Amino acid sequence: MLVMKNINKIFQTADIQTHALRDFCLQVNEGDFVSVTGPSGSGKTTFLNIAGLLETYSNGEFLLDGEDVGTLNDNGRSRMRNEKIGFIFQGFNLIPDLNLYDNVDVPLRYRGFNSAERKRRIEENLERVGLASRMKHLPSQLSGGQQQRVAIARALATSPRFLLADEPTGNLDSEMAKGVLTLLEEINQQGTTIIMVTHDAELALRAKRTIQVKDGRVSELDVVANIHQASA
Amino acid sequence: MLETGLILRALARNKIGALLIALQIALTMAIMVNAIFMIQDRQQQMQRESGIDEANTFYLTNTIFGQNYNIQAHLQTDLHMIRNTPGVIDAVQINAVPLSSSGWSMALQHESGEDKDAVGSAIYMVDDHGINALGLTLIAGNNFKQGDVEIRKDGQSTWPAKTIITQAFAENLYPDNWQSAIGKTVYISQTQPMQIIGIVKTLQAPWNGWDGVERSMLVPFQRESKGSYYFIRTEAGRRDELMPIIEKALAQSDKERIIRRVTTTEDTRNRSYQQHNATNKILTTVVVTLTLITGFGIVGLAIFSINRRTKQIGTRRALGATKGQIMRYFMMENFIISTFGNIIGCIGAIGLNMWLVNTFNLSPIGIELIAFGVIALFIVGQIAVLYPARKAALIAPATATRTI
Repeated sequence: MLVMKNINKIFQTADIQTHALRDFCLQVNEGDFVSVTGPSGSGKTTFLNIAGLLETYSNGEFLLDGEDVGTLNDNGRSRMRNEKIGFIFQGFNLIPDLNLYDNVDVPLRYRGFNSAERKRRIEENLERVGLASRMKHLPSQLSGGQQQRVAIARALATSPRFLLADEPTGNLDSEMAKGVLTLLEEINQQGTTIIMVTHDAELALRAKRTIQVKDGRVSELDVVANIHQASA
Repeated sequence: MLETGLILRALARNKIGALLIALQIALTMAIMVNAIFMIQDRQQQMQRESGIDEANTFYLTNTIFGQNYNIQAHLQTDLHMIRNTPGVIDAVQINAVPLSSSGWSMALQHESGEDKDAVGSAIYMVDDHGINALGLTLIAGNNFKQGDVEIRKDGQSTWPAKTIITQAFAENLYPDNWQSAIGKTVYISQTQPMQIIGIVKTLQAPWNGWDGVERSMLVPFQRESKGSYYFIRTEAGRRDELMPIIEKALAQSDKERIIRRVTTTEDTRNRSYQQHNATNKILTTVVVTLTLITGFGIVGLAIFSINRRTKQIGTRRALGATKGQIMRYFMMENFIISTFGNIIGCIGAIGLNMWLVNTFNLSPIGIELIAFGVIALFIVGQIAVLYPARKAALIAPATATRTI
């Protein structure tokens, strides 16, 4: 479970203070698929960065699986990211010099798995996204949709509790986007909690819940339990 | 967990930059090791003992211009006066000064005859005060007696019947047992017999670059010549005080000659090795400069590589890499490049050394110097990459989600 209570994030430069998040409150339960929408500059990415422990917050309370994130040092946050969180980025963020196998291997090495365990997880997850036959290919040899699938395999390889997706279909055409979204839905159905930031209203509606962020706050009125998902 | 395999595969796909740095390390290694070897070789040459009491000796030239000048009478007067000057231990007339770059040489052979093998040697003409005045150590046999000393006129081709040689010369003449040289007869000027009556520990020739610099001989001659050196040894610490006193006394005692070039043997040694010192300074500058250039090259490549991979580093952090793991990644990457460079560098260093050995007759390079070069360049590499690696480790994980 992810719980944020009155989270504030203030970016401070020499003479400007920017409140990216103001008293941001949110609870994401186990197995949720939450889409986060909002206009540019509303604080979506800041929320995602804080939720993914990529950034610290100025004040408030943030519990991830019951652990107070505010008490963790940098190494602790790195460990928690590696163990509990998987990331999917808009630009895929694959390492161009490494083939698919090695790309999926990266977080597993940080986790300290032995080579046999790493091999099993890499093959299993590349199989899961339908790219097992191309594990020796470089990212540049794949389409955008396939690259995002590799990124999903990499995110899933460490068996995270949470999958955070930042505009996961932003760089894909509609066909590829559909394929990636279907994959995310499958992953969610298998028990992984997903939080997805998106601009795309149609895409957002495919999540179980949609959260609207405005001026760094969650607008309670905009928290919608998506009917079609609930009835599905 | 170390990412050696991943780094190797990533480097294999981005060869050029890494290859250039590896080659720079290799070149630095090859040049550095050989330059240090040459510096050491010169240092060893400069540290060799000349055999004389350098700290307490000086010499001067005595040039006679007077007509009908009684050289012998004046020589004896001069030497008597110098030897009796308070603070002087001894003095001698000599034909050449060790390490002065100017001297005489002859050859000795075991058998008389024109076509017999002979061994070259520097030759110093001294009287029975020679060993004491120079501060030599007699390690076998005896010194010359006063009666052994002969007067030598300019152009004379005959030699005295006795000689004292250095241990190195004795070892060359009698490799099985150098001490057996005492009492042996050798031949100078191919046919003139000469008995070895003594052996001194060390007395270097005037030419420091000569491969027979340790081979010298003393012959009991006093030269009846218009130009000669007086070599003077003083009590410890009194050399500088006595130099002007003796110069003045000699100059005032006789107006038909010029006393000049009053020089300490320490100055002579310094002048003798001036070129060695200059070469060593140049080589040291080359080594330091090359090492710095290589260090800066590593810094430059690492910073370029980090700037190019900022998002990638952010992604690694997002995937769970700690700051320490990011630092280790770049340090390991540098270690791999350095290893490759050092392997090529070792081959290059040995190849260059073989060429130097063949061309300049140097001795082969020692494995310990190559090991030193390898370790030094690994350390330089790791220090050079420390700042860029630290910079990489400070890249925020949130960089991964930035689109620009």
